[in-house]
Amino acid sequence: MNEKELVLEVSELTVNYGATSALKSVDLFAHKGEIVGLAGPNGAGKTTLLETIAGFLRQKEGDIRLFGTQINEFPVLKRRMMGVVLVPQERNNFPYMTVSENLDVGGIINCKDVNKRLIEEVYQLFPVLHTRANQLAGTMSGGEQRMLAIGIGLVSNASILLIDEPSTGLAPKMVTRLFETLGSIKELTGKTIVLSEQNIGVIDIADRVFGIEAGEVRFCEKTEDLDRDIIRDLYLGK
Amino acid sequence: MNLDAGITGIIMGGVLSLPVLGIAVIYGMTGITNFAIGTIGVFCAFMTWTFFSYGTVVGILVGLATSFVIGYVIQWFLLTPLSEKGGDSTLFFIVTICIGLVFTGLTRVLFPRPNISLLLPRMGTVRILGVTTSGLKIFAFFFALSVLFLIRLSEKHTNIGKSWRATSQNLKLAKTVGIDTQHVFAWASSIGCMLSFSGAVFWAALYNVSLMSGWDLTFLGFIIAVVGGIGNIWGGMLSALLMGMVMSYSGHILGGMWQSVVLYFIVILVLIISPRGILGSERSL
Amino acid sequence: MNDHYKKLGTLLALILPFALIGKVGYAQWVIGYVYLFLIQGYVAWFLFFRTNQPFFGYSVTMALGAYSTAILTGIYEWPLVLGILAGGVIASAVAMLLFLSTSRARGFYLSMISFLLAIMFPMLIDALRPITGGRNGIYFRGLRDMWSRGGLFALIVGSTVLAVAFLFWLMSTKTGKTFTLIAENDDLAQAVGINTFKYKLLAYGIAGLISGLGGALYVNYIGFISSIDVGVFTTTYITFIPIVGGSQLCYGPILGALIVFLLPDLLVPMERFMDIIFGGVFVAIILLIPGGIAPGLERLVKWAYKRLVRRRHDCIKPETQL
Ligand SMILES: Nc1ncnc2c1ncn2[C@@H]1O[C@H](COP(=O)(O)OP(=O)(O)OP(=O)(O)O)[C@@H](O)[C@H]1O
Ligand SMILES: [Mg+2]
Repeated sequence: MNEKELVLEVSELTVNYGATSALKSVDLFAHKGEIVGLAGPNGAGKTTLLETIAGFLRQKEGDIRLFGTQINEFPVLKRRMMGVVLVPQERNNFPYMTVSENLDVGGIINCKDVNKRLIEEVYQLFPVLHTRANQLAGTMSGGEQRMLAIGIGLVSNASILLIDEPSTGLAPKMVTRLFETLGSIKELTGKTIVLSEQNIGVIDIADRVFGIEAGEVRFCEKTEDLDRDIIRDLYLGK
Repeated sequence: MNLDAGITGIIMGGVLSLPVLGIAVIYGMTGITNFAIGTIGVFCAFMTWTFFSYGTVVGILVGLATSFVIGYVIQWFLLTPLSEKGGDSTLFFIVTICIGLVFTGLTRVLFPRPNISLLLPRMGTVRILGVTTSGLKIFAFFFALSVLFLIRLSEKHTNIGKSWRATSQNLKLAKTVGIDTQHVFAWASSIGCMLSFSGAVFWAALYNVSLMSGWDLTFLGFIIAVVGGIGNIWGGMLSALLMGMVMSYSGHILGGMWQSVVLYFIVILVLIISPRGILGSERSL
Repeated sequence: MNDHYKKLGTLLALILPFALIGKVGYAQWVIGYVYLFLIQGYVAWFLFFRTNQPFFGYSVTMALGAYSTAILTGIYEWPLVLGILAGGVIASAVAMLLFLSTSRARGFYLSMISFLLAIMFPMLIDALRPITGGRNGIYFRGLRDMWSRGGLFALIVGSTVLAVAFLFWLMSTKTGKTFTLIAENDDLAQAVGINTFKYKLLAYGIAGLISGLGGALYVNYIGFISSIDVGVFTTTYITFIPIVGGSQLCYGPILGALIVFLLPDLLVPMERFMDIIFGGVFVAIILLIPGGIAPGLERLVKWAYKRLVRRRHDCIKPETQL
């Protein structure tokens, strides 16, 4: 893996909300075509980390590099043009637009034909979205909205997709399917995916897992070498 | 005679619906109620009046361009940065009123006369149901109506329109999928100011426009927007027509003094009974 | 503790103009005028910021107080004291009624109801011209007949100090603490079993009463009131007072009132440019000094203190972060 291109590199990142710091000197990296999992209990700082990478929050200290370029002060839009797209944890669709309009907007900066192809692919991955194409996004069930959110992320044709807790609110069966889907997306498109997850199943698809707790990285392991006990300790305490 | 008042009301509502649409567009998009757009519209109408001697079209184009630039600049440099710093509706209320004051002042200082009226072609006369009105009034009404349809159509069917709706529904997601929301905001503000300007031009052609008319335009536009469900442009149009009728008939029956009192009274009542306005608002604060 | 000193200092500063009692003239008149609006400014500070109720109808409550007094005493020949009290009570009742009737509205819509009332009220006065005088206004002798100018001035200053002291005292009682809790987190307050409805009603009642009494004093001091004096801009300017001055600090409204009501007076020679300067200055203050003038001033003083005093003592303590 080491010879692969380093796509995202976060070093010694510190982020504050007012006086309290939510991230303390966090390091993170992702290679091209990898799925990187962020594991950690509630309030660990996963959302904060992803939002800082996407540009919605500003770091107090530390560096974020994308394809080797330092992007510390880049606004959201510029990062998006470089290929970073965030699928937020909540409020992740346009509630008064139909499903198909949501997907259109997701790929708004793509060429028309690229967009069409991507939307077709999303419909194949999530047939529900196809049958619901003309329903308002806000009226769909929680699980369907999750799928739509990921669909928007896929249509955006990002080279680095940041997905915040894709499995919340999904039935266990759906979670397994979702993870399979993400795995196949990686295989098919060679996208880099960073996803935060509370569900332990994430280690089945991730290439690398970063364990985060109380704003600090506790461990960083390739999934092959990962000892399930440390994950358990992370969530349950020693 | 009663029919006369009805038609006057509809036409008044049609003209008023232009600033109402302006307020609705800006609010729907940016979440800011802009209390300056009436005075900005009147300022630009004075610009039109200044350039009127070069021809009607030149005058109107100058006014349109000015209102576009003003709308764009205040949104880009003032309102968007403020809202990114987390400004609330009270702050915007105060700031936009201050901007309105500045434009009232500019109108006072820059133009030689405190009130103007524009001589637009009268476009003949039209008889509807036995009542005679000037073609210009009818034109004003249909102009407002077609602007409404144009906005609605482009929202539905163009990419730009979709990115507008996306921005108003979920700013964060819109940003992350690559919509230049800052430009969207600035455009919305510009279009709002241009709509308010066209309202002011028709007002100046049908009645006359003075320094303080900007505030009347703002407040009338604002209450009508609130009654329709602020941000909801169909509601805005409907309530503009209704309120035009209310004003016309109450003026007719109770006399001019009571016209506005009745209007505001009804508006307050609507707000107390159905706070979201008659058609509700997509964007709620 | 620090807060106590600030409140005490504020009251002391408010008493200062007593020194001018003997000096009848323009300066005294203007200070009285500013104080009349300072009362309203403090009401806005209390209701809008301390209890977080979106009320924009200060010109309405003030006008209700003024007109009630003028009409009841001037036309129906009530005794003056009764007229003034009636002004306060009527304003208070209307404020509470407004609160009661708006229980269905939320947030922005709520604030707009009172704002629309403020737009409507002068029109109503115009429409009721036979009684109220409309735009031409009514003249009212009231206290002006009985008291000297200095006495009237002292009354205004004294009442302002009293009203402000009352509001400070109120905010330090248990009721005031409850107001603060409701302002900060309405849901939490309800969850811990506070009857927020009752407290809000009380807040409206108190604000209406003080504002109405202030209005009654206004018409006694100025001797005249018309619909133009209580227009929309009056209410807007009153809300400006705490915002511009600094809504979080107890002396913010004083600075605010000085700027909002004294600045136009100083600008009279440049009347043509008044709107531009006025609007421009406010936008600049809001943009450049977040939180208003008072916190800005405090930051400046702290900074200057650090710069000047610290350096002299050559202090090498580690900098503590705010
Ligand atoms: N806007 C905010 N203001 C203040 N503190 C915040 C804010 N957002 C998050 N925090 C705090 O920062 C810490 C990290 O929050 P974050 O949302 O990143 O956690 P998370 O790992 O995503 O948790 P979850 O799994 O519950 O989504 C938490 O302690 C949270 O309370
Ligand atoms: Mg999270």
